[in-house]
Amino acid sequence: MAAPERPEAASSSSIPDYECVNVNSKAFHIGSFRDEWLKRLQPEDFSFQQLDQDAFDAKFAAEMGVREETMAELRAVCSADSLRCHPEDQEPDKEDRQTVGMVPETKADMLPEGEVIVTVNIYFPTNLGKFNGVRPRMTLLLTGSHTLADLRDAICCVSDLQVCGEFSSTPDMVPDFISKFLPSFMSLLLGSSTTIEWAKSHNYPSFSQAKMEDTRFVDLTVKLGFPYLYCHQGDCEHPVIITDVRLVHKSDCLDKRLYPLLTHKNRSLSQKCAVCHVFIGRWYTTQDQFAPSDPCLFCDKCFRMLHYDKDGKKLGEFLAYPYVDRGAFN
Amino acid sequence: MDFSRKHVRSDCEALLRRFQKTQSVRFEVFSNIWKEMKFAQIFSGNPNNNKEFYHLILDIAYCYFLPPFSFQIRVGGLYLLYSTYHSHPASTSEQLQIRVALKDWEDVKNFEKDAMDAQHLDVVYILKRLMICKALQFTAMPTLLLYRTKRNKQKPMLCEQFIERASRPQELVNTQLLEEMSNIGELYKNMKTSIISQTTTQENAFVNLIRKEIVPQLCTTVLEFYNWQQGRDIIDEHKNSHERTSSQQEHSKRAELLASIKSKAYGEASEASKSRRHRQAERSFSNEEDGSFLKSRHSRLMKPSLRNRTNKQIHMTGDLGKEAIRATLISQLVTMDPALEEKTKNQRRFKF
Repeated sequence: MAAPERPEAASSSSIPDYECVNVNSKAFHIGSFRDEWLKRLQPEDFSFQQLDQDAFDAKFAAEMGVREETMAELRAVCSADSLRCHPEDQEPDKEDRQTVGMVPETKADMLPEGEVIVTVNIYFPTNLGKFNGVRPRMTLLLTGSHTLADLRDAICCVSDLQVCGEFSSTPDMVPDFISKFLPSFMSLLLGSSTTIEWAKSHNYPSFSQAKMEDTRFVDLTVKLGFPYLYCHQGDCEHPVIITDVRLVHKSDCLDKRLYPLLTHKNRSLSQKCAVCHVFIGRWYTTQDQFAPSDPCLFCDKCFRMLHYDKDGKKLGEFLAYPYVDRGAFN
Repeated sequence: MDFSRKHVRSDCEALLRRFQKTQSVRFEVFSNIWKEMKFAQIFSGNPNNNKEFYHLILDIAYCYFLPPFSFQIRVGGLYLLYSTYHSHPASTSEQLQIRVALKDWEDVKNFEKDAMDAQHLDVVYILKRLMICKALQFTAMPTLLLYRTKRNKQKPMLCEQFIERASRPQELVNTQLLEEMSNIGELYKNMKTSIISQTTTQENAFVNLIRKEIVPQLCTTVLEFYNWQQGRDIIDEHKNSHERTSSQQEHSKRAELLASIKSKAYGEASEASKSRRHRQAERSFSNEEDGSFLKSRHSRLMKPSLRNRTNKQIHMTGDLGKEAIRATLISQLVTMDPALEEKTKNQRRFKF
C-alpha cells in the first residue's frame, strides 16, 4: 500500500503554540512534545495511581513546614464540602459510557503511563444541498504507537464497499466485496507521487513521502486543528483534523486492545427504496424506462420484480449498478 | 455553546470582581462568595449539554489562571477551577478534566513559586490537590481545535481591571543596571581623558560614543512613568474628595517629586512582589544618603482612568489629536510601535 506525505516543516518547536488563535496550532513533533511534558513532570503526576488524601497531607506538611493544627485547618477550609451551597439534593447523573475507566485484566494490555493520545476527526462527504450545519464525522482516539495504517483501517467509509460495474444483465453475479488495489494516502492537502511531481513543476517546496505502515503518530510533525486529507479508492476524499494531542490520563480507557477507539460517529440517513419506502436501496438505475426518476434507487425485491420476469430475463432497457447505502456503518 | 460563552464569561467576571474587591487571596473568602452567589447552580440549567457546558466553564476559568492577569485574579481563577471541578455532580466518573497546555506550564510553575514564597498555603495546597486528584490533563493546546475560521472574529475584551499593572520599565531599569551603566560611563570618561591627554591633536576631544547624562535621564523617565501610574490611581480615588485632602495630596506629591529630583543618582521605584501587590502598593525611594521610606496606599476604587476621562472631555480631531497623543513621553513608553503592530498583524496569514 502506498504513501502518506508530510511537507518538510521549516522549524517545528516541540512546544505547541497557536498559529491562528483558536483555529489551529503551528506544526510540532508529537514525540518531542511528549518528551517535553515528561521532562517537566514527576512520575506520580501522570501515573494512574492516585495518592491517598492523608499521605498527601503529610507530604505537604513536611514540605512546607506546616504544623499539625494549621494542616487540619487548611484541610477543612479547602475541602470540597466548604463549597456546598445547599444539602445534597442532586443525584449524580451516571451516563452510560462503556469505555470510561476501562481497565484491562492483564498488565500487558494496559496503556503505558506517559503514552500520548491523539484525537482525530474524520469528516465524510455530504450533499451540499442538504447541508444543515452538521458535518458528519467520526472521532477516533489513537495512541502514539499506532501507525497511520491503523488509522486508515479504522476509518469506515462506504466507498470501500462499493462495487463498480454495470450489472443489469447479470444481477446475481454481484460480488460482495472487491478488494481494490488503488493506493490510499494521507497528506497535508497535497500528496501521492503524481502530485509530488506536479508540485515540483509548479515550484512548491518539495514534499517527502513515507509508508503508512511505517509511520507512527509519535514520529509525525503535525498541526493541530489544521485540515489534512485522506484519499482512498482513487477519488474518495475525507478531510482529517487532528483536534487534540495529550498525555494519557487515569480516567481514559486503559485497554490497549480497544484502540483505535471510536468516541463519536454521526449517523447517516439511509436512503430507502423509491417504491416501497421500507427497505434500504441496493440498486441504482439510470436510463431506466420503468423508473419514475433518473437516477432511481430500488431495494433488491422491488428491483427484481420490476425489471426481470419470473425466469430472470431482463425486461426493457436500463443500466443498473449495485449501490451501498451511506448508512451502512450505522 | 458560543451563545452561552458570553454569559458564562460575564458571570465568572462578576465572581472575580467580588473576589478582587475583598483584596484577599484566602480560599475561605472565595468560598463564601461562591456560596453567597450560589454559583454551583450554574450546572442545574441544562442536564443534556452538561459535558460541553462544563468544559466551557473550565476553559474560561483557565484563562483567568494565566497571565496577563494580576496575581489575585489568577488565584481567583485557580479557586474557580477547583470549585467547578468539585461542584460538578458527575466529575469523578466522567472524563472531565482541566486541560493544561504545555506552553502554559511555565506560568503555572512560576505562579506556584510566587505563592510558595509568599507563604500562601491555601493557594499551594489547592494547586497540589488538583494535581493529586488527577484533575489535570496535560495537553498540547488549551482547547480542542476544529479549524473554526468562521467563528466570531472579535476577541473577547480582557477586563482591564484584572490585568496586572505594567511594570516592565521598572523591572528593566533597576538599581543594578543603573550602577553598571554609571560604572561603564566612568570608565569610558577616564579612558577618554587619558587618551586625550596623551595625544597632541585636539580633534578627538569631540568624540562621544555615549550620551552624557543617560543614567539620570533614564532614572527620571522611569520615575515619571511610575508616578504617573500611581497618580492615575490616586487621582481616581480622590476625585470627589474635598479640597483639603486633595491639596494635601498635591503637597505630598510635590514633596515626593522634589525628593526624587534631589536624589540624583539612584532613585528607585521598586514594586512590591507580585503576590502582595493586591494589598498595598508600597513605594520605596532609595538613594545613597537616606534609607528607603514606605508609603501606604488606599484601596483602589473603580473609576475611569485619567486617560479615559481626558479622551472623553477633550476632543482633538485628526492630525492634531494624533500628534498630541504621540508627543508625550509616557505614551511612547506604553504604546507599541505602529510599524511593529502592522508587522505582527500581517504575520497571521497562512503560509504553505
